[in-house]
Amino acid sequence: MDIREASLTIPAQLDQIQHASSVVRRLAEEIGFAESDLNQIELAVYEACANIVQHAYAHQTDGHVHISARAEPGRRIVITLLDTGTTFDPQTIPAYDPQQVTEGDGQVGGLGLFLIRRMMDEVHFEFCVPGSELGLPGCFNRLTLIKNL
Amino acid sequence: MTSSLSITSQSLAEQSIAMLSLAGRLDANTVSQLERALTDAQLAGHRAIVIDLGELIYISSSGLRVLLTGRGNARKRGADILLCNLQPAVREILEMVGFSAIFPIFESREQAVAAALATSDREN
Repeated sequence: MDIREASLTIPAQLDQIQHASSVVRRLAEEIGFAESDLNQIELAVYEACANIVQHAYAHQTDGHVHISARAEPGRRIVITLLDTGTTFDPQTIPAYDPQQVTEGDGQVGGLGLFLIRRMMDEVHFEFCVPGSELGLPGCFNRLTLIKNL
Repeated sequence: MTSSLSITSQSLAEQSIAMLSLAGRLDANTVSQLERALTDAQLAGHRAIVIDLGELIYISSSGLRVLLTGRGNARKRGADILLCNLQPAVREILEMVGFSAIFPIFESREQAVAAALATSDREN
């Protein structure tokens, strides 16, 4: 199996996110994901990075996000995002309900997380992952996104 | 690499309708442009804002939130926001998050303008 991989580290800034999501999209394209799936993968990575920039690093200007993707032809793409920002409990994020949303509700919570979960087949949050496990110093938050072909 | 969005604005029907044509990507990096355009259109007193999404190729949750807030603000002052000309990828997202039940969505800008004028006539 010809596994393909890509990884990059971006400053935690909104204007850097599109680059990361585009890199992952191109990798997914190489192993034959359909256009609609590519759109979903790109949006999920974008939303995940935006959440990290806007929430995990809300009070920090020098943070970074490390993104790596492993494309397994005929099988799936596994995307991992690492950051060292503030942790959160995904269970405390209000569940976005498309049936309940109303106009003017622009502060509605959980929309980004809702999109990520709808776009991907698996979404796993891990917090305070020891850096030694990753061959890196410090402690990390790790978000794993998986989409099957 | 930065994302880009362009917004073209015009007034129709003796200033009663603002037409905003969006092209590019509506995301966390570009959403402030749409916020400004919606504010400007509302300050100009337009009764309806038609947003043509024909060349919008991407929308993130930030863009969705601004649309939602914008329509709420418009409705509070008796105006409305209508959407038209959606690309399939953008339509899929709007349907997924339930916006197709909130926003009037039209296939073409002509249909959207006609609907805006009809609503405006009923209320005058």
